[in-house]
Amino acid sequence: MSWLVRTAALIAATVIVVYGVATTGDRTEPVWLALVIVIGLLWTLALWPSLPRSVRNVDRTIVYLATVFAVGFLLVGLQLVRVQALDRERIQRRSFSAGIEGVVDPRRQALGQLQLRGRILARDGTVIAETKLTENGRPRRVYPFAPAAYLAGYFSPALYGAANIERAFDNELSGRTGNRRLRDWIAGILKRPTAGYDVVLTIDPELQSLADRLLGDRPGAVVLLDARSGAVLAMASAPVFDPNSLSVGPWLTSEEEAAARASWELLQRSTDGPLVLRPTQGRYPPGSTFKTVVLAAALESGVATLDSWYRDEGMLVVGSRVILEQNRPDPERVSYSLQEAYGYSLNVVFAQLGLELGAGRLSAAAAGFGFGEPVPFELPVSPSVLSVDPAYLSNPAGLAETSFGQGQLLVTPLQMALVTAAVVRGGDMPVPRLVERIQTFGGEVIEQHRARSWRRAMSAETAAAVEQAMRWSVERGYVRGAQIEGAVVGGKTGTAEVGNRLPHAWFIGFAVQDGRELVVAVVVEHAGSGGEIALPIGRALLEAALRR
Amino acid sequence: MVARVRWLELQLLVPPGLLGIVGLLTVYLSGTGTTRWSWSDIWLSLAYMGIVLAISVWLSLIGFRGDQVLLPLVAMLSGLGLLLSQRLQLVLSSEAAWATLAQRQIVYLALSFALLWGTLTFLHRLEWLRRYKYTAAVSALGLTLVTMLFGVEIHGARLWLDLGLVTVQPGELVKVLLVIFLAGYLDDYRDVIATGYRAGPVTLPPLPYLLPMLVMWGVAVLAVVLQRDLGNALLLFGIFLCMLYLATGRVGYVLAGLVAFSAAVYLALQLFDHIRVRIQVWLDPWSQPLTAGFQSIQADFAFAHGHLFGTGLGFGNPQFVPVVASDYVFAAIGEELGLVGAMAVLALYLLLVARGLMIALLATESFTRLLTAGLTVVVALQTLIILAGTVRLLPLTGITLPFISAGGSSLVTNFLIVALLLKASEATGATR
Repeated sequence: MSWLVRTAALIAATVIVVYGVATTGDRTEPVWLALVIVIGLLWTLALWPSLPRSVRNVDRTIVYLATVFAVGFLLVGLQLVRVQALDRERIQRRSFSAGIEGVVDPRRQALGQLQLRGRILARDGTVIAETKLTENGRPRRVYPFAPAAYLAGYFSPALYGAANIERAFDNELSGRTGNRRLRDWIAGILKRPTAGYDVVLTIDPELQSLADRLLGDRPGAVVLLDARSGAVLAMASAPVFDPNSLSVGPWLTSEEEAAARASWELLQRSTDGPLVLRPTQGRYPPGSTFKTVVLAAALESGVATLDSWYRDEGMLVVGSRVILEQNRPDPERVSYSLQEAYGYSLNVVFAQLGLELGAGRLSAAAAGFGFGEPVPFELPVSPSVLSVDPAYLSNPAGLAETSFGQGQLLVTPLQMALVTAAVVRGGDMPVPRLVERIQTFGGEVIEQHRARSWRRAMSAETAAAVEQAMRWSVERGYVRGAQIEGAVVGGKTGTAEVGNRLPHAWFIGFAVQDGRELVVAVVVEHAGSGGEIALPIGRALLEAALRR
Repeated sequence: MVARVRWLELQLLVPPGLLGIVGLLTVYLSGTGTTRWSWSDIWLSLAYMGIVLAISVWLSLIGFRGDQVLLPLVAMLSGLGLLLSQRLQLVLSSEAAWATLAQRQIVYLALSFALLWGTLTFLHRLEWLRRYKYTAAVSALGLTLVTMLFGVEIHGARLWLDLGLVTVQPGELVKVLLVIFLAGYLDDYRDVIATGYRAGPVTLPPLPYLLPMLVMWGVAVLAVVLQRDLGNALLLFGIFLCMLYLATGRVGYVLAGLVAFSAAVYLALQLFDHIRVRIQVWLDPWSQPLTAGFQSIQADFAFAHGHLFGTGLGFGNPQFVPVVASDYVFAAIGEELGLVGAMAVLALYLLLVARGLMIALLATESFTRLLTAGLTVVVALQTLIILAGTVRLLPLTGITLPFISAGGSSLVTNFLIVALLLKASEATGATR
């Protein structure tokens, strides 16, 4: 074998190694394994001993065998380089959790690392989560700001892993990310624990406290967004858990462990889901608030205008289903404009509108609002759906029910807040965000999160018309209780029927003043009418937020 | 016999000695956090180095002319194993056993060196082994059979015999017996097997002569598969193929064997769930992170944490990796000694294999040549298979890392191999 062939083989192998490392994420990806075989063959070619003809066959075989073994060891070394030097950050960052059990690099809990774990702050610097030393000198994660503690989640590496922000931003909090690559690389080599970064939330502590207080211990959810920036100003959920009771670090004492296990057991046994972050993971039938989406669909597709007239005689028969109307302001009156039908929340009119639209256009409009898609958010969001069973909408009765917000609709409060935000933003839906920036302990900004738009939900004209309809509801319709002096307010209540229990109370609304655009979505589970229960919460929050 | 000082060997024994003492001190001091120590803290390494030195001096005294590099290499590797057992016993919950991990390891090492001494003293000629090739075959089959019938199951594989005081793994010795048989048999019928029968233009394989080997090998593999121990099946098959190649020089046999093996793997994939799981977990351990993939994930974490230079002995957390003392000892090396340390260990094994094959090259008798090459193949393949498993180059199989993994049977067997290699190197007559 000439030295030319050997050099070529060696260069080719090197190129393939570089290419493979650059394009594959894991060293057992099939592509990489295939490349490893090629690399092995090329190395064999490069190392293959050229023996003179005089060498006996029996000697030949031994030398060749030695070459093959050498290549084998080299390949082991190649995999070793990947796992120890090239893929290590990716490996260390990986984690898994399913309910109680989870898998995470246990070295993350090392004492020094926990001590240096970053804080979680509200937008004004109020501490939501931090690590403190206990009396016996061991670090412990504490959550001093109760109204937002569950947003931070919990950090219990020794037992239950982490949740919410503690989990989603674990890499930032433990200082595994950021633009200081060289610093992290050196720290990794020298095995120094890296100082974690602080995660600053968009949460306004005062509004968060208010939201938490207004919701009280009634199960439900509140989302208050700054529509301009997509920033979540308050996000309340009830019932909640106290992360302090779960937070156990490494080398915990048996009492600590027993206490944490007991609280965990309690949380697990509880039937009202305290570990579920309702604004993002609670899915409810939206009731009449969904009429906002149907209205937009009808206007956008040209099926109707706000001035189109509809008949509502107090009853509509769709197939075998009889829809009764209870919302008419005047039982004598049977003719309503679409504007009025929205403001008085007339189910019969919206059932007709839905049937006119048809399942296809309604689904398309809902998809435009992001239904069925994962919402881009820092915390996991359950996708909202138009119907659980896709065939449900092809049944006219199902379509009619869906059109006024019942049927098989399931939406998250965050989704409804985004729908409202799209209305005030001229049809453009923002990316909601809970994190403002990542910074060092000293305040040096590592990563600034900016306002971004997620998708166009409807045209600007449609958005303007829907905005007008929402304002009409507040000014002259059933949502008059939402008026705030000096601000332009629009809204829609919802009373979502669920079986034979009390209905879920809903409110979505916006308030615009001095260039500020705020939107809110409120749901209170099994609490009664939206106008009586949810609306006051939403209004109080909008008003408080405008004053800030 | 005239005493001749083995200077090279003595010089080469300095690094293992330093490793033992410095390493053990590091392990000890990392636990206490002080710099105070006494000689009793490192008695383990001192005892070990004493044994090694005694063997070396004894070899000098009897004027042994064999290889001088083999013993230092082995001393380095098994010294590292002893060190790791001392380090791991600090953090592993002690199972009910008659002594701690490190104490057991030093006893096994002492036994191993005794065996080495015994072999070199009482085995006058390697050629003598050839006469007992069928005895070796029969005892290999017998041992396998006995293990199958009376064995106890540990970690899901029935490989151990419970002898009351200790449990032994006869499978380790079976490999050596198999090599002795194959070397003897292949050497006797080498020509027939290499050329085959000519029937016109076609060359037929000499089936009658291949048959006894195939039966022997088939029974061994079958037994291993029934014992649910795939690592050993792969190992035995690899040994068989390598020796067939060494004896005949025909790549065709190897290729045919590889095809047959691929078919067997395919069949096994269809038949056995646990093999499917192994493959799945190899390709993506995160598909079953809580069960089958857990060990592999933890090993990855350990390797990743090690980075270039490692945490240093005693400063890592190898206890998070399940079965770290035997299957995954390489992950502990990777974490605490880093990429540099792990590569050094790889290099040590490669040197050992190269040395073994060199001894085979220099051997004058054809049986000795086949035997030494075969024994080296045992060490090389076993190391490659387990290391490839731990770094996920191949699916993981539960076999031990020669010289380093905790465990008596493996250690004793590997020292038997070293003893035979040393004996063979003496027979070459070349002065080293």
